[in-house]
Amino acid sequence: MRLYEYEAKQLFSQFNIPITSGQVAETKEQAKAFAEKTKKPVVLKAQILSGGRGKAGGVKFADTPLEAGTRAEELLTTSIKGFPVNKILMDEKLDIEKELYLGITLDRVNYKIVVLACSEGGVEIEEVARRNPHLIKKISLDVDQRFFPFWGMSLARHLGAKGENLKKLSQIVVSLFNLFKQYDAKLVEINPLFLTKDGRYIAGDARMSLDDDALFRHPELAEMGIEIRHEEGEMTEREKLARGWEIPYLDLDGDIGMFPGGAGFGIMGNDFIHYFGGKPANFMDSGGGPSPERLARMLILLDENPKVKAIFGARFGGISRCDDFAKGVVIFLKEHGLTKPMVLRMTGNMWQEGVRIFQESKKEHPEIFKNIEIHGIETPIEEIAQRAVELAKQR
Amino acid sequence: MAILVDKSSKVIVQGITGGAGKFHTERMLAYGTKIVAGTSPGKGGEKVLDIPVYDTVEECVANHDADTSVVFLPARFVMEAVIEAIYAGIKFVVVIPEHIPISDMMTVRKEAQKFGTIVLGGNTAGIITPGEANLGIMPDIAFKPGRVGTVSRSGSLTYYVADTLSRTGYGETTCVGLGGDPVLGSTFNDILALFEKDEKTKAVVMVGEIGGVYEEMAKTTIEKMSKPVIGMIGGIFAPPGKRMGHAGAIVEGEMGTAQSKLKALEEAGAHIAKTFLDIPKILEKFNI
Repeated sequence: MRLYEYEAKQLFSQFNIPITSGQVAETKEQAKAFAEKTKKPVVLKAQILSGGRGKAGGVKFADTPLEAGTRAEELLTTSIKGFPVNKILMDEKLDIEKELYLGITLDRVNYKIVVLACSEGGVEIEEVARRNPHLIKKISLDVDQRFFPFWGMSLARHLGAKGENLKKLSQIVVSLFNLFKQYDAKLVEINPLFLTKDGRYIAGDARMSLDDDALFRHPELAEMGIEIRHEEGEMTEREKLARGWEIPYLDLDGDIGMFPGGAGFGIMGNDFIHYFGGKPANFMDSGGGPSPERLARMLILLDENPKVKAIFGARFGGISRCDDFAKGVVIFLKEHGLTKPMVLRMTGNMWQEGVRIFQESKKEHPEIFKNIEIHGIETPIEEIAQRAVELAKQR
Repeated sequence: MAILVDKSSKVIVQGITGGAGKFHTERMLAYGTKIVAGTSPGKGGEKVLDIPVYDTVEECVANHDADTSVVFLPARFVMEAVIEAIYAGIKFVVVIPEHIPISDMMTVRKEAQKFGTIVLGGNTAGIITPGEANLGIMPDIAFKPGRVGTVSRSGSLTYYVADTLSRTGYGETTCVGLGGDPVLGSTFNDILALFEKDEKTKAVVMVGEIGGVYEEMAKTTIEKMSKPVIGMIGGIFAPPGKRMGHAGAIVEGEMGTAQSKLKALEEAGAHIAKTFLDIPKILEKFNI
């Protein structure tokens, strides 16, 4: 979960990482009032969940309260990098001597925490890494390693700090590390970290991304007003419906409805359809051991999608059972009815029982089976994919 | 021979009294897996399916010589459970639950390496040595004893690959699920190296998917292997920036695209299969 700058700065101040006493504004009037109170030039920063905000026009300056109001209105009525701006963070404008970079992230390859310091801040760190890698100093640590101040000292020296400032900056590094650990972060960045003309270090920006799977350890975030968010970006109506049913689902731009089993085959099945000249209308994951009701809902998502011309179904019963799969399909056929042609293959755990359920139901209601072709283990899955592509082309 | 698990493995189930733990213990037993004990703190002394339940892993090792564990516990308890198993002397741990916090899994990996323990998962369907032992949630029907090893991040893809190998007469030595979480206890490198040393394994099928860099990292191991490696990558047509089911299956920037994975495998000398039916066609070229 990514945090907004103003949320991350709340956590920064808890850990005594210096920030300016800024304020969030949601209206032009609030922005004006802040500038009047500050009696200094101000900076207005759009609060969006994306980096590269400055380049995209999300940071503005104002010398007077009147100008602050105008700039605030401009920001609050635009979208930046696809994100609508609902809040801006107001800060007094500082006299900057130097812009630096501090960051901490996880190295998934080597199972380490990496602390980075760069003497060139205010630009994307990836860019510096390409252009001037020697400006970046890196320390790799085990995930359960306590962070000793001498590492902070070493990074602070790399950033050119001396004397009292060396101690101050190394303490900031230590605090940032402790913050990273405390909240199970995946990333914490101060970019830029300002060194002001009067010799203070101040976090200009704050980026933080937390491990979604560790959020259960942090009920205190909600108490601080930081709501748990699921980041899916903009969702289509069907994606929202699927989310309500807790079915992992994505709309794609083709015409073959994908009704696969697990996520792995969902990803690969998508490729297979492409290999045989078709295009999937969606990605979907049934999850382990889906109930018949859930399976019926998965089919509703596909059959009611006007773009879908044919449906490709695959079930390899592992943790999930073929009898439940057959039951789900039959519930759907009886209660909803299939309007699109569907080809499916069913094998694995309890497949004989699944076949029996299909046969009995077909004897009773042959009419509801008219659009469906059912195969077993004797037909390779590749042939099923090919058949789905053919069916879509016939429509 | 096989890798990691066989009929002599003495297996415990951590979380044996839970719904999933009990259900799959029954399945694993039915397959012939030698399950000697289970744990459930506070329920020591009880029995599940005639299997003795203990409070701690330590007791399972002391009383039954247990060497292997399958974990069926909620994600938040996994780190402690696995580290308990490692310190008790268990040599191989399979983590079935998904969504383990990243820092927890990194801590597990570090402890495991200290003791030479191998951890699979999280979010793995498990591991099976056909005809000997089945640890996890994989369906028996796909698997037959044979001479090809498989390693994959996904359960469902393991079934399709194994089914293809079983029907074409190759069969499998051991099938390993690495898991779908973003940070895993074991990587392709670890498992490929074990297959290389296993006498009975004549070739390896490795199935990767978009996201992460575990497939790219495998390059250095594959280059050194004497056995043929067949590589398959899922997600060639996946939309960037969208998570496809598995927490780990998302393309972020240039990292972890199907193209970069295919390139790494090809450069390492792996043989690329596009569909499952390509696998026996490639194997035919080798006298195995």
